[in-house]
Amino acid sequence: MYVNRRQLLIAGGGIGAATLVGCSSQGGDAPAPQTTGGAPKKGGTLRVGALGRAGAITRDPHGTQSNESDYLVLSLVFDTLTVPAGKPNTAPRLAASWESAPDLKTWRFKIAPGALFHDGSPVTAADVVWSLRRLRNTKSGASRLPGIQADNITADGDATVVLVSDYPNAELPLLTRLSSFVLKKDTPDGALDKAPGTGPFKLDWYRNGNARLVRNEKWYGGEVLLDAVEITMFETAQAMSNAILAGQIDLASNVGPVAARIAETRKDLRVVRRPNDMAMPIVMRAKDGPFADPRVREALRLVVDRDAMVKQVLSGYGTVANDIMGTGDPHYARDIPQRTRNLARAGQLLAEANFDLGRTYDLITTEDIAGLAESATLFANHAREAGIRINVVKQESGKFWDETWQKGTLYTTYWGTNDSVLFLGSKLMVGDAGQNEAQFADPAFDDAYRRAVGAADEAGRAAALVDVQKIQHERSGYLLWGMADGIDVATAKVQGLPTLAGYGRVQLQSTWLR
Amino acid sequence: MAALTSGAPAAGSTDPAPAGPPAPPRVGADRARRAGRVALRVGAVLLRRALVLAALLAVVFAAVEILPGDAATASAERGDSAAAIAARREHLGLDRPLWERFTDWMTALPTGDLGTSARGEKVADLLRDPFPNTLALAGAAFALTIAASLALGCLAAARPGRRTDRVIGHTATTAFAIPDFVLATGLVLVLSLWTGWLPAVTVADASGKPAEWTMMIMPVLALAVPQTGWNTRIVRGALADQAGAPHVEAARLDGLSTTRVLLRHALPGALPVIATGIATSTGMLLGGAVVVETLFNYPGIGTVLAGAVAGRDTTLIAGSVALAGAAITLVLLAADLVRAKTAGAGR
Repeated sequence: MYVNRRQLLIAGGGIGAATLVGCSSQGGDAPAPQTTGGAPKKGGTLRVGALGRAGAITRDPHGTQSNESDYLVLSLVFDTLTVPAGKPNTAPRLAASWESAPDLKTWRFKIAPGALFHDGSPVTAADVVWSLRRLRNTKSGASRLPGIQADNITADGDATVVLVSDYPNAELPLLTRLSSFVLKKDTPDGALDKAPGTGPFKLDWYRNGNARLVRNEKWYGGEVLLDAVEITMFETAQAMSNAILAGQIDLASNVGPVAARIAETRKDLRVVRRPNDMAMPIVMRAKDGPFADPRVREALRLVVDRDAMVKQVLSGYGTVANDIMGTGDPHYARDIPQRTRNLARAGQLLAEANFDLGRTYDLITTEDIAGLAESATLFANHAREAGIRINVVKQESGKFWDETWQKGTLYTTYWGTNDSVLFLGSKLMVGDAGQNEAQFADPAFDDAYRRAVGAADEAGRAAALVDVQKIQHERSGYLLWGMADGIDVATAKVQGLPTLAGYGRVQLQSTWLR
Repeated sequence: MAALTSGAPAAGSTDPAPAGPPAPPRVGADRARRAGRVALRVGAVLLRRALVLAALLAVVFAAVEILPGDAATASAERGDSAAAIAARREHLGLDRPLWERFTDWMTALPTGDLGTSARGEKVADLLRDPFPNTLALAGAAFALTIAASLALGCLAAARPGRRTDRVIGHTATTAFAIPDFVLATGLVLVLSLWTGWLPAVTVADASGKPAEWTMMIMPVLALAVPQTGWNTRIVRGALADQAGAPHVEAARLDGLSTTRVLLRHALPGALPVIATGIATSTGMLLGGAVVVETLFNYPGIGTVLAGAVAGRDTTLIAGSVALAGAAITLVLLAADLVRAKTAGAGR
C-alpha cells in the first residue's frame, strides 16, 4: 500500500537542523554532487521518474503534497528561502543570508540580489511575505512555520523579510528549508497551475502528474546545465524500475532496494545511495509500564543484532546506528562507542530490573513503509534468543496513528528528517515535546538541550550537543538499530546527482548529462 | 480494487434472451407498432441495467466504508491530532451517514456531476484524460479478442478432433488460466527487458496520451490474451453445436467446402452465443485494466482506481466504477441487440 505520511512529514513540518546564530551565505556548502564524468557539460534532457498517485495530485506549492512527483516539479519551478545541504545542513537559496537578534526571536532574511520571477519581474520582500503568510494560513501552516504567527511575517524595505518567533528558536532558518515556496504576491488560487516561479527551471507543460520543465536562463543561483527535465509519475516502484531498466527514463528517484539490486548487475546503470534517509526506530514507553526502567530499555538495545537488521531488513542498503536520532547531523557524536549485541549483559540488566520474562509483550507495527514490519519481526526473533517473548502485531495505518502512536508501550515508528540531533530532540524527546513518542521526560536531557539551543559560542554548543547525544544513547525511549539509505537508480550518463537524504534528492539544478 | 473485480462480473451477467417476436411483414401500422415495441424493450433493458449499476455503486460505497481507515486518516499529516482528523472528516463530509452521502452523490450523477475527491478536486476532471485512455486500451483489446477468438475458434472447428483443434483448445484454456499480473510481468521481461523490442512502461506526453503507440502493445496483449482464450472456447463450442443442425448438415451433404459451410451456415447460427460470451469479456477487460494499467503505468482509470482505493477516496472510486460500469452496460446492450437480431433472423 502506498502511504503518504512519510512525504507529508518531510514536506510539511518535519524540517530542521542545527545552525549558527547569524549564519550567512558563506556557509552554503552545496549538496555534495557526484563527480565522475569530467567537466560539467551543458545541454540535454533529463527524464526522471518519481512516485505519485493520480488522485493525490496537487499544484499548490503550499498544499498538502503527498506525491513525490509533484514535489519534484514544485521544487524545480519555485524556490524556498533556504535549502538542505551537507555541512552546515542549511544553505541559502532565495534568501542569500540571514541573521538573528540576540534573543533568537527576530530573524532577518535578505533576498538574493538579481532574483527574478520567470515572467521577468524582480522578487520583492512583499512577494515573500505574501507567500509565507499564505503558507502559514493553510490548514497545516502551524506545523510548517511553527511558532511564527502570520502577522509576525513582515517586510523591511524591498529586500528584507523579518520573521518574529513566539519563542527563541535557533533553528528557524531550517524551518524554511523545504516548504517556503515563493510565488508572486496576490497570485489567485485559480492561477496556481501557471504561476511563475523563481526556480532553476520553468514549466513547459504539466498534465496529470507528468511534466516538462525547461531551463531558466536567468536563474540567479548560477548556470543551469540541463536544457529540460521531463518528469513521469509512477504509481508503483515496480513500474518505475522497469522503466529505468528498459532505458525509458534516466533517473528513477527513490526507487528502492529491489531495483538497486538489479541495477548493480548492469554496467549502464548506477545506484545512488543517499545515507541517513530513513530512521525506523523501535519506541519503548519510558513513562510507565514494563519498559519504564532504563535498565530494561538498555537490555533491549543490547539484544538486537544490528548488522543482521541492516542486512536483512534493508537488503544491506543502510548503516548500523547507535540509538541516537539525527545520524546525518554534522555534529553527530561518532566517538560514542557503538553498542553491539551482548546477551549476557542484557540478561543481567533484566534480572536487576526484575523484568517479567514470563509474559509476552506486543510489538505494534504497520506496513506504512517498506521494511518496517519486517524489522519488528526480526527484532522479535533476536529478543526470543534472549528469553524475551515478543508478539508482533500489524496494525492498519489509520488505526495505528489513532490508537498506538505516542500511546503504546512498544511500537515501531519512522522519521524522514535525520540531519539534526536538536530538531529531533525538540520534537520527540524534551519533556514537553509535541510528539514525545516514548513519553520520555528527563531533566538532565532537557537541560542539555536548552544549553545547546541557547549557547552563544560554538564550543559551548558542541559540548552541550555531546551531552544530548550521550543521554539519548544511554536511556532514551528509542532503539535505533540502523538507518536506511535513500536509493535512486540512474543511467551512467547522468552526473552531479544530489546525495543528500530525504527531499535533498530533488535538487537537480547542478545535474548534467555526459 | 475489490469493488471493481467483484462488481464487474455482476454487471457483466447477461439477461436471458428475450424471445424475439414473430415478425409478420404485413402493413405499415404493424411495422410502427413493432418499432414502438422494440424501443420499449430497449428502454426496459436500459432501465434494468441502470438499476444494476446503481446497486453496484451502493456496494462500492459500502465496501470502502468496511475497509480500515478513511480518507481523513489516509490523507492526514503525521502529528495531526485526533481533533484535526475529526475536523478533516467533517470537512470531507465523512461524519454524515453512509446512505446520505450515497444518495447525495447518486442524485447529482444524472447531471454529470461525479462529485469531489478527498483532496478537493472535481472527480470529472481527474477522470477526463484517463477514461478515454482506458476506453482506447480496452477497445483495442476487445477488437483483438473478437478477431483472434473468431479466427482461432473457426480454425479449430474446421478440423474437429484433429491436432490443430486439440492444440488450440489446450492453449486457449491455459491462456485463460494465467493471472493478469503473471502474464504482464512475463511480457515485460521477454518483449522489453530481454529483447528491447517494446517500451516497458507507458510515458504520457503533453496531451495526456501515451507518447508512442507502441506503448499500448503490451497492455493490450496482457488484457486480450486471457479473454481470447475464453472466447475461443466459446466460439469453438457454439460452432460444434451448430455442426449438428439440419441446415448445416444439408449444406455439407450438398458438397460445399468446409470453409463455406462454417462461415455461411454454421457461424450465423452460433452468433448469439458468441456475442453474449464476448460481451461478458468487457467486464473482465475493464476489471483487468486495474492490474494491467498499474503494472504498465498506463494513464487510465485503472491506475486512478488503484490509487483511489489506497487513499480511501470513495467518490473517486465510485466515479471510476460508474464510468466503467456505463461502458460495460452499453456493450452488453449492444450484445443484446445483436442477439435479438440474429436470433430473429435465424427463424
